[in-house]
Amino acid sequence: LRPSSERRPGLRGCGAAAACSGRGPGPGGGPARGRSLLLLQCLVLLRAPAGLLGDQTRRVSLEVIPGPTDPSQNLLHIRAVGVNSTIHYIWSSLGPPAVLFVATDTPHSVLSVNWTCLLSPKPEGSLAVLPAKSVRFSSALIFPKLFEFDSTNSSEVKNGSPGKPYPPYLLADFSWDDVNSTLDPTMLSATFQGRPSKDPLGAFSNGSLAFKLDQLLWHSSPEGFLQWRPVAFSKKQPDWKTALPCQVSPPGPTLATLLPQSSIVRAFFGSSANFCTFNLTFGDSTGPAYENQRYLSWSALLGVGSPPVDSFSPLVLGIMVVVLGAPALLLVGGGLSLLLLRHRRYSEYEPIS
Amino acid sequence: MAKEGDGERALLAAEPDEAEAEAGSVSGAGASPLSALCDPAHLAHRIVALAFMCFLGFGSYFCYDNPAALQIQIQEDMQIPTVTFMLLYSWYSWPNVILCFFGGFLIDRVFGIRWGSIIFSLIVCIGQVVFAMGALVNAFWLMQLGRFVFGIGGESLAVAQNTYAVSWFKGKELNLVFGLQLSMARIGSTVNLNVMGWLYSRVEGLLGYPGHTTLGITLMIGGVTCIFSLICALILGYLDWRAERILHKEQGKTGEVIRLTDMKDFSLSLWLIFVICACYYVAVFPFIGLGKVFFMGKFKVSTQEASAINSIVYVLSAPLSPVFGLMVDKAGRNIFWVMCAVVATMASHMMLAFTFWNPWIAMCLLGISYSLLACALWPMVAFVVPEHQLGTAYGFMQSIQNLGLAIMSIVAGEVLDLWGYFFLEIFFIACVSVSLLAVVLLYLVDYTRGGSLNCSPRQRVELSKKTHTK
Repeated sequence: LRPSSERRPGLRGCGAAAACSGRGPGPGGGPARGRSLLLLQCLVLLRAPAGLLGDQTRRVSLEVIPGPTDPSQNLLHIRAVGVNSTIHYIWSSLGPPAVLFVATDTPHSVLSVNWTCLLSPKPEGSLAVLPAKSVRFSSALIFPKLFEFDSTNSSEVKNGSPGKPYPPYLLADFSWDDVNSTLDPTMLSATFQGRPSKDPLGAFSNGSLAFKLDQLLWHSSPEGFLQWRPVAFSKKQPDWKTALPCQVSPPGPTLATLLPQSSIVRAFFGSSANFCTFNLTFGDSTGPAYENQRYLSWSALLGVGSPPVDSFSPLVLGIMVVVLGAPALLLVGGGLSLLLLRHRRYSEYEPIS
Repeated sequence: MAKEGDGERALLAAEPDEAEAEAGSVSGAGASPLSALCDPAHLAHRIVALAFMCFLGFGSYFCYDNPAALQIQIQEDMQIPTVTFMLLYSWYSWPNVILCFFGGFLIDRVFGIRWGSIIFSLIVCIGQVVFAMGALVNAFWLMQLGRFVFGIGGESLAVAQNTYAVSWFKGKELNLVFGLQLSMARIGSTVNLNVMGWLYSRVEGLLGYPGHTTLGITLMIGGVTCIFSLICALILGYLDWRAERILHKEQGKTGEVIRLTDMKDFSLSLWLIFVICACYYVAVFPFIGLGKVFFMGKFKVSTQEASAINSIVYVLSAPLSPVFGLMVDKAGRNIFWVMCAVVATMASHMMLAFTFWNPWIAMCLLGISYSLLACALWPMVAFVVPEHQLGTAYGFMQSIQNLGLAIMSIVAGEVLDLWGYFFLEIFFIACVSVSLLAVVLLYLVDYTRGGSLNCSPRQRVELSKKTHTK
């Protein structure tokens, strides 16, 4: 699963996602090198994992669970069925954008939703994966806030703080488009897109924040993981020139009461859950930031099992083999043939002398 | 810019040091310190001249790596991609593909050493001013032109500097003097790498905004070092003229005789040495030109630390060059040392590419191996070429080196723009690998032909005795 936040309207996603829009409040009219940093506060909730077996091939289906009233109350259910296991991803824009991740050890597990209860102030228990016994691992990821920083003032930046923070955007207050319109069951993609419902300064009016789904992972070991490369991109085509560093603060445990309430998380986990929070900061004070391109793309993987490991491409490996092998071969081959030659020469000359 | 120093040093050191009879040395005896300073026959006076000789090259060494020190600023202010930025280095190398052959000729036959060094210093100054003007008026083509002009003067000035050294110190403290001049060159590069970024931020603070004007002013200030060198050239010209009048000594000559027809006599070993030289330096100088941004990006170091890491290669080579020179002289076995240097360089590039180890380790290794290579590679030419062809061989070697740098600077910039620093490192590793291949071939060729390249000094003496008795 790859949620990515992108500041661009009309995103063509290849996954399920939520989106919001924004032209970030930059240091308008400030010095030419005004830089703003973006920070996304994330919440992760983890529950103890249990033994699960991996499946290489899965049937993946996307389904929007229709709400009773408002089309902006998106609930997207992604179900990936394997031979003897199922992974459920449940994305929602009720409250702050959030995703539930549930892994079960049966191919027959289903999601049950009680909408009336879910929309009520006490949603506990309204969302469940059945049979409950089959659940081996569950976690959730909530995106409650989006910060922006003005790091024009270099003296502040030197102290290690990213700069002067602007008032944060509460993503719970965003209004979200109907995810049905972006659903593409063949490409297995959908996009959540939204913008602040109240934006008096018009700061966010021209952009969007999007979450999209891309990939499903299930490895054999039971632990879950949330993994990302420490890099974000300032253009749609990621390459090294558009890369921005992405820093993460050390995750710390937090009390649930201090956090914005996510209905689906409360609905699934109940009110007593262990949360930890961390901040992701994109860009740094020295390089160009989001301000230059007004576009930022970051992606992460949320899955069960051992996280995938990066390896070098065959091209690089091939080059390295040639580059290291050729001189070594020449040295060994040349040395051996020299020895042989010398030996033969001596043996030829010996009878004469 | 350190490269041509190595070549010239080896070339001149390869000539037999003849003790030169000196006229009028009696007059220095028992004189007061002041008169000793003014007496051309006295050591004190020669030391004064040496100081000017060292600073003669300071300006051009300082300004050669200006682009490396200001890469981020140049690319941002002039709004150019890396490949275009690397043209600044490429344009420096182009004139020297040809000038290596004629620098010595121009000094010996056309200008003479005094006017030669003054004219080349002037060209260096003009080049730097044009370079800075290009930034001031926001015209990148003018900056490129400036670097081209700068290149015309830069390398020839190094030849003039070495000629002065021979003329004043031949048969006396010549090797020490070459060592000092080389160290001065490294100091110039180091100071530049560490100072220009700071200077830019000061100018930025003064003007209140960054941009091409700030860049231009910074480069203009950097150009002051060239003016300083020009003044040194003028004073040195006067001192040399005065010494010639008092001591009736001859004006210094490079003694380089370059005949392109010698080329057909070059042995396979010599061509392999050329290949090693070209491929090796391609993986060092363009890397230093691009290194600062790499260190900041991959290892998250500050601007100042990135500059310092980048300059450690030069810093190390200043004290290590004489040490390694002595070591190679005593131990012989040049191919072995070259192989060590090339393998170490490869290891250092691989560290930078594949690991997140502290970049100081890799760069120190690079600095050590670079110094070792310079000391072991350049003298090898003298073993495979008859003495009367030495000038041509060294001219050719520098020319090929410059050609390699001119082309590969652009290629490196292109690789970086397209695929990023990881592939740039892979590219450099590939270059070093070609160099390593050539070293191995050279060893095999030298071994089968019974050459003396990998012999100890004693074996070399025996070998030359054998050929003499034959």
